[in-house]
Amino acid sequence: MNNAVLGQSAVILGFLAAVSGAAALAYGLQQRRPAVVRAGRTYVWLLLGAALVACLAMERALITHDFSLKYVAENGSRTTPLLYTIASLWGALAGSILLWGLVLSGYLTAVTVRFRRHADDPIVGWALLVGLVVAAFFFGLMLGPANPFRTVSGAVVGDGPGPNPLLQNHPLMAYHPPMLYLGYVGFTVPFAFAIAALATGRLGEGWLVETRRWTLFAWGFLSVGILLGAWWSYEVLGWGGFWAWDPVENASFLPWLTATAYLHSVMVQERRGMLRVWNLSLLISTFSLTILGTFLTRSGVLDSVHSFTESSIGPLLLVFFGVVVAVGVGLIGWRGDELRAPGSVDSPVSREGAFLLNNLLFAAFAFVVLLGTVFPLVVEAVNGDRISVGRPYFDRMTGPIGLALLFMMAVAPALPWRKASGELLRTRLQVPAWVGALTLVGCVVAGVHGLTPLLAFGLGAFAAAAAVRQLVLATRRQGVRGLLGRANGGMVVHLGVVVIAVAFAASTSYSHRSEVRLRPGQSALVRGHRVTFLRVHEEKHGNRTSLVASIRVDGGRVFAPALSRFPFASQSIGTPSVRTGLREDVYLTLLSAPRASDGSIVLGVLVRPLVVWLWIGGGVMAIGTLMAAVPGRRRLPTSPASAPVPDAAPPRVPVAAPAP
Amino acid sequence: MKRPALWIAATVLLVAAALTAVLATRSPAVTKIADSPLIGRIAPDVSGKALDGATVRLADLRGSFVVLNFFATWCIPCQREHPELVRFSQQHAADGSARVLQVIFDDTAAAARDFGKTNQVDWPVVEDPDGQVALDFGVRGPPESFLIGPDGLVLFKIVGQVDAAGLNRLLNEVAR
Repeated sequence: MNNAVLGQSAVILGFLAAVSGAAALAYGLQQRRPAVVRAGRTYVWLLLGAALVACLAMERALITHDFSLKYVAENGSRTTPLLYTIASLWGALAGSILLWGLVLSGYLTAVTVRFRRHADDPIVGWALLVGLVVAAFFFGLMLGPANPFRTVSGAVVGDGPGPNPLLQNHPLMAYHPPMLYLGYVGFTVPFAFAIAALATGRLGEGWLVETRRWTLFAWGFLSVGILLGAWWSYEVLGWGGFWAWDPVENASFLPWLTATAYLHSVMVQERRGMLRVWNLSLLISTFSLTILGTFLTRSGVLDSVHSFTESSIGPLLLVFFGVVVAVGVGLIGWRGDELRAPGSVDSPVSREGAFLLNNLLFAAFAFVVLLGTVFPLVVEAVNGDRISVGRPYFDRMTGPIGLALLFMMAVAPALPWRKASGELLRTRLQVPAWVGALTLVGCVVAGVHGLTPLLAFGLGAFAAAAAVRQLVLATRRQGVRGLLGRANGGMVVHLGVVVIAVAFAASTSYSHRSEVRLRPGQSALVRGHRVTFLRVHEEKHGNRTSLVASIRVDGGRVFAPALSRFPFASQSIGTPSVRTGLREDVYLTLLSAPRASDGSIVLGVLVRPLVVWLWIGGGVMAIGTLMAAVPGRRRLPTSPASAPVPDAAPPRVPVAAPAP
Repeated sequence: MKRPALWIAATVLLVAAALTAVLATRSPAVTKIADSPLIGRIAPDVSGKALDGATVRLADLRGSFVVLNFFATWCIPCQREHPELVRFSQQHAADGSARVLQVIFDDTAAAARDFGKTNQVDWPVVEDPDGQVALDFGVRGPPESFLIGPDGLVLFKIVGQVDAAGLNRLLNEVAR
């Protein structure tokens, strides 16, 4: 069957399923007819089926080189290896929206299955309604400006240009975007439950325990996605960096910050019933920021290496962002005051006090990043100047917040709920504080210089020791089982974050870059590393021709930085070659082709310490997230805070009890 | 304060509405400055056959600012930026303070000639059949432009479309 027809029909079917499901749920909820609500849920399966068929049709078109489809003609090529052909699904705008639709329908189906026993509960009904409205929006985009199944007019070409060369240079490209989407789109579920809670007025902690796990899931994927992006940037782009405060990076980092804040503050709600409205606000902000980020990266208003091509979906995304914010904030304004929790923080020196401060820090972090990202646009709107906010702003503003967060990471786990005594703090913090102080002194003695990296190392050691102390206590009490569950999984995540923070501080503060011109056989000494240029040769791959230099590092292995050219586009891009080590990386880039006169090349050599620990830290974070998602021992939320707010909701079925 | 959530929500809504309004009224970013190892260095040599058969060299244009533009006729942003290049070139035609030099990027001379028949092109267009010029300048995809100073130094690299106003702004920035 024709791919275009099949895909287009599936998109239409998906859109209709989302709209009909949402309409049925709205009607059923409004008329209080559980049978209609149950019927509305079945549309989710139709939506999933449609999204699957649409994606399969696109993959089939890509793999069979069906150049009658505009998307394939623009992004496919007969010479592109299979992996990158499959990954082209998310390599350009329309396809990425298609993947978005698939991931969203997957999440909605998971919600339907997870809560199948609570099908009649209005809170689940409302959440699905919100999810289906979001799905209707994205499928609607595919019917309009982001239609992936548009066909070419006129003659069908015999071959296409293939994906952007930068996207077919490294296998990580195949995994980074799906991970990001699993994170981004996953935040729709907690958002939907937050809106459902506001709409029904039932802010009991019951739904919250569930929402936390969905948020954790999405957050874990987003963390991995962001780190894979950093890794890809390091391995592919050839400038030796992994984070540039580029608008697109910021767009993925912003929801990560607010979601991290939520994962912490939700514990205060579970334990003390406080911060309810704040938590709802964080969930709504997180989702709004994903939509804002999608707008920023796909509308072309910002200057970014990642921007998708200019397209007309910008205005629609902006309208959607406006609607999401208006509905979310409007509901909070309407319901917020009656939902506010009884009770207050007893003492600032307590676990809840620490979480509050942690949340303020994360909110400040997010504000600083958001401001830096949109500031150029605001300035331009005010006086017409085009300015750019660069690295120095972000480094200067976020550095102190990051250090403060490291400090909180060390202290907070030691604090008890309600109130801490000085005696207790002394016993709990003594060892970690000594570890931190000794690390600091050790670094100074070893000749480490620079205030920020020194503070990062000292506070990092303090925080790591605090986390290890918690883990040791937990395993002593419960054995390996003690490592599971939120609190201790969280400590493992903390360890990963500390590793990343230390690696980040070291690799940005102590890297050394130089450029050397070398004739064949000639060597140069860069920061204690001897690089020898052996020869250069040409290699032909299916999709590119590369000029490859052979460089021996420290008399050992030979590395091969290259300049690649992709035949169809005749674009040349550098492929760095990295000697990865636990202590430092030697990052080689070929900067110029051999000179005709003496065959000499210009080689870029960057020596960067501890980079590999960024990725190791990311792995530790992922493992910690998994451990935190496994249910550990959980105390039941205190009953008064879990009870429905009187009169706010019509009396109906009891609150969905979380399945353990 | 009574009903703090309502007041806070109203404030947040106002800020969000203002932000949305700002975002809604922005035009797509053009004349995007990008980093390049060439900046601050003497531009690599550009010399080749122009479409009219004459030999053109970048070095011969010393004394004026040069916008070195890599383009292809199949590239949509290149077609869109073309009138802006014409405008820029005309603004500086009288005093010769700035010129445009185009390099064909992955396209045929015939296609570029056809393009010139239907569009005003009042500057030299150089062929780059083996892509050596593009390789020297590290061009990834058209359109990319380099602003080169009267002394032959590379001042800016611009990725994506340019506009006349943006190019003039860059010239003013250098003058300052």
